[in-house]
Amino acid sequence: MKASKQWFELQQWKAHSFQRETWKQIAAGKSGLLNAPTGYGKTFAIWFGVLQHYLDQKKKPSGLHSLWITPLRALSKEIENAAKKVSHDLSLDYTIGLRTGDTTLSERAKQKKKMPQGLITTPESVHLLMAQKGYYDVFKNLQFVVVDEWHELLGSKRGVQIELALSRLRAINPDLKVWGISATIGNMEEAKEILLGSENEKGVMVRADIKKKIVVETVLPDTLEKFPWAGHLGLRLVDKVLPIIHANKSTLLFTNTRFQAETWYRHLLETDPSLAGVLALHHGSLGEETRQWVENALHEGKLKAVVCTSSLDLGVDFRPVDTVIQIGSPKGIARFMQRAGRSGHQPGATSRIYFVPTHSLEIIEGSAMRYAISNNKMESRIPFIRSFDVLVQYLVTLAVSDGFEPKQIYNEIVKTHCYSSVTEAEFNWCLQFITQGGKSLYAYDEFHKVVVEDGIYKVTNRKIAMQHRLSMGTIVSSTMLTVKFVSGKYLGSIEEWFLSRLKPGDVFWFAGKNLELVRVKDMTAQVRPSKSKNGIIPSWEGGKMPLSSQLAAMIRERLNEYYEGTGKDKELSFLSPLLEEQKKRSVLPHENELLIEKIKTREGCHVFVYPFEGRYVHEGMAAIMANRIALFKPITFSIAMNDYGFELLSDQDIPIEDAIDSDLFSSRHLVDDITKSMNTTEMARRRFRDIAAIAGLVFTGFPGKQIKTKHLQASSKLFFSVFEDYEKDNLLLKECYDELYDFQLEVVRLRKAFERIEKQKIVLKYPERFSPFSFPIFTERWREKFSNEDIEARVRKMKAQLEKD
Amino acid sequence: MMYEEQETQMQIKLLNTVVELLPEKALFLPDTNTLVIADIHFGKAMHFRKNGISIPPQSAERDYLRLNALIEKKQPARIIVLGDLFHSTHNSEWNLFCEFVAYRSGIRFMLVIGNHDILDRSYYRKLCLEVVENSLEIKDLILSHEPLKKVPEGMVNVAGHIHPGFTLQGRGRQNIKLPCFYMLPNQLILPAFGSLTGLYLLDRTMDSDIYVVTNDKVIEV
Repeated sequence: MKASKQWFELQQWKAHSFQRETWKQIAAGKSGLLNAPTGYGKTFAIWFGVLQHYLDQKKKPSGLHSLWITPLRALSKEIENAAKKVSHDLSLDYTIGLRTGDTTLSERAKQKKKMPQGLITTPESVHLLMAQKGYYDVFKNLQFVVVDEWHELLGSKRGVQIELALSRLRAINPDLKVWGISATIGNMEEAKEILLGSENEKGVMVRADIKKKIVVETVLPDTLEKFPWAGHLGLRLVDKVLPIIHANKSTLLFTNTRFQAETWYRHLLETDPSLAGVLALHHGSLGEETRQWVENALHEGKLKAVVCTSSLDLGVDFRPVDTVIQIGSPKGIARFMQRAGRSGHQPGATSRIYFVPTHSLEIIEGSAMRYAISNNKMESRIPFIRSFDVLVQYLVTLAVSDGFEPKQIYNEIVKTHCYSSVTEAEFNWCLQFITQGGKSLYAYDEFHKVVVEDGIYKVTNRKIAMQHRLSMGTIVSSTMLTVKFVSGKYLGSIEEWFLSRLKPGDVFWFAGKNLELVRVKDMTAQVRPSKSKNGIIPSWEGGKMPLSSQLAAMIRERLNEYYEGTGKDKELSFLSPLLEEQKKRSVLPHENELLIEKIKTREGCHVFVYPFEGRYVHEGMAAIMANRIALFKPITFSIAMNDYGFELLSDQDIPIEDAIDSDLFSSRHLVDDITKSMNTTEMARRRFRDIAAIAGLVFTGFPGKQIKTKHLQASSKLFFSVFEDYEKDNLLLKECYDELYDFQLEVVRLRKAFERIEKQKIVLKYPERFSPFSFPIFTERWREKFSNEDIEARVRKMKAQLEKD
Repeated sequence: MMYEEQETQMQIKLLNTVVELLPEKALFLPDTNTLVIADIHFGKAMHFRKNGISIPPQSAERDYLRLNALIEKKQPARIIVLGDLFHSTHNSEWNLFCEFVAYRSGIRFMLVIGNHDILDRSYYRKLCLEVVENSLEIKDLILSHEPLKKVPEGMVNVAGHIHPGFTLQGRGRQNIKLPCFYMLPNQLILPAFGSLTGLYLLDRTMDSDIYVVTNDKVIEV
């Protein structure tokens, strides 16, 4: 009897057809991609296929048989438990091991001596295994690699790490089978292609034919604030959220940032002290122990509600959860549906998700979301290509372990999607980068990171090897700063972009505490407890995530339906007074109109534009416009944006009228103008931060080790400007600009937006005061800078202003 | 033309000593024909490279060229480095500095030791570099690397170490960050000379005067 049949009978479960299909395909020796929602046994669909393969082997080779890669540590624990239970229930000799950043040294040593049959791990840990001497032997009998939540990894540099790892593992064992598990995204076929690589044609796609019913309900305030201020509305809705929590068994409250999570946690407790003990907080900056506790308590049904971030987005199945609340814009449809799917796990159950807008205009997103779900509009995940930072890191990884032969590795990497277009010359540049630190013309050069011995590239310096292993975990989306009390006690970590906006003396709320920033030094923010009741909480507004183009289009459509009088849902009728106020003060644009508002205040001249295209596109558009307007006269702008529009602010009059007359929104010379705007703003410099960290340029020191590294610290900005000045053809620099094009400015999307606007009629209005549309942008704190004025002239102007005040 | 020439020089008086704040991020004492420079951090690029961090070695040259141009312009008899001359332990860039000093043999070089100057003293001796361990007095000025906590009565302390910068705010939510000379009643903090260094932003206080450095001007703000 097949193991799957035996075990399902034991559980008194009936297998889904997609599970049987997957078992069949695996038995036939295929690789493939399984598209299935969470909560229907997708893990078992793959797992029993893998197990059966092992059991059917006549001669069972020792060592690693399968590798299961997940994006989250929490998830690996979950898979481990499931897999161990199966082995135990069926008394199999298939042992399961776990290898993540949390795995203890003694456990690692044990694994090194004898690997289990199945190893559950993360992308970083796979690379760390490849940084060990003798890794070839570890993987030589490997039969299966399973990549869980592939949709989540694809579109990130961790996805690129998977591509690289697979290219190596396939070379070690050409017979390797690769399976991915993915939720539904817009580009399923591409996702499969990237994962399976050159094996794609022989691979299969298995789709679970399960449709989840999702009901979206927007939580509306009693009265409508006509001048929405980001973040303000949300907390006022605490009174509406509490009854939802009390009426249900167990609720997950998703926020977009950990700060929002902290804020809501505090306010819920303050408003309803009876929640103490049954309300918990879960986000990526909290210690592993705390998170584990929360997850276990959720499983056991002990918690009434958990305020969380994307930390609970994925996989892990919490059966007691029957309600999900999304706080603030979910930014994308796929993400919203995934979160909705965290409730109602019983087959056939309806998933109910409440949407809590954080400012009035956001209310419209509830309407847009419902519409998008019923029309099944899913975003695509755009994969990274030509990520030289990850490639450089990978090459050093191989050099640290057994060393590598360049020709062989080049042939492997060009088979991946990410590096298929990398030329030999570019690959040689990477080799030069790790052996000579770039193009070195100097005899007195002392760069010895990777050395070449008999054609083999290797790291011989132990300090460099250690430095590399420690920095390998740095493929995360943003640079993190450690938060510590002045006395040294560790509190957690915070994204640098947030802290960089605070000044010493500012008070902020973190880890459930009010903290005063004392100083930021060497990647550490030193804080002290503050008695101040209200730590400032800046406008989080969904962090850095932009609105997806699908959702943006939906919003424009809903607004237009209001305009035409055809849209009649709860959200639109509620928003009516705000939209009418917009009409009164300025104008409510029709879908073939682009509204521009010009307002003069004490601060200077403001120009607001509303393309409704999402914040990244707005960032690019604003920079291009700034460049085009600056052709008329030397001018300095401060630029703010949200998902609906953007603002150009200057101390002098902005000649928007002249600019409109001379094709301000033309899609011609777009690429040229984009290049110019990237150089005149801070965009590229900021983008370079992650690249510098991954490529090993920014070294953050040895955690907890007494090694002097202070003299090795420099900011990524410094590297950026030095490369700009001395190594224009540096591939990391090129990569930075390419990423800006593709991911930040989203040039394809930007071009489409310009083309759309070209066909629109431009409506220029001069409102006397801010309109409901402009107010939330005006109150945005974070601003991009643009200037083509002479620095000296600006200093003198500011000085004169200073003297006047 | 005359007017512009004058403007590039910012002359102030520290007690009885006239000093020029130079846009090259250095201080000149005309009475003693002395150039004072803080925080050069020579050898930083090579130190990084020695530790496997690739930074183009050419980036080190810029500061030699800048220093050379400054010497041509002011023709000093003496150069005092206010600490952090060399970034870290010995590397080959030290040879470059030695060549530079040899080429400028007519100038008397002095180094007030800073926290980064951890080279063995014998390196300095070989170069005939005069080493000052703590502070150096020139009439009513007392020169040190780190700003003195207590400045002797009747003296002004000239120091480096801080890498001072200042953010100017303007209308329309504009701001510019620039290196600056930071003047307190009895203390003048010099901007860092080295281009591979960062800025530490200082606030204006009741008794501070701030002179920002743009590309080729020093402007009091």
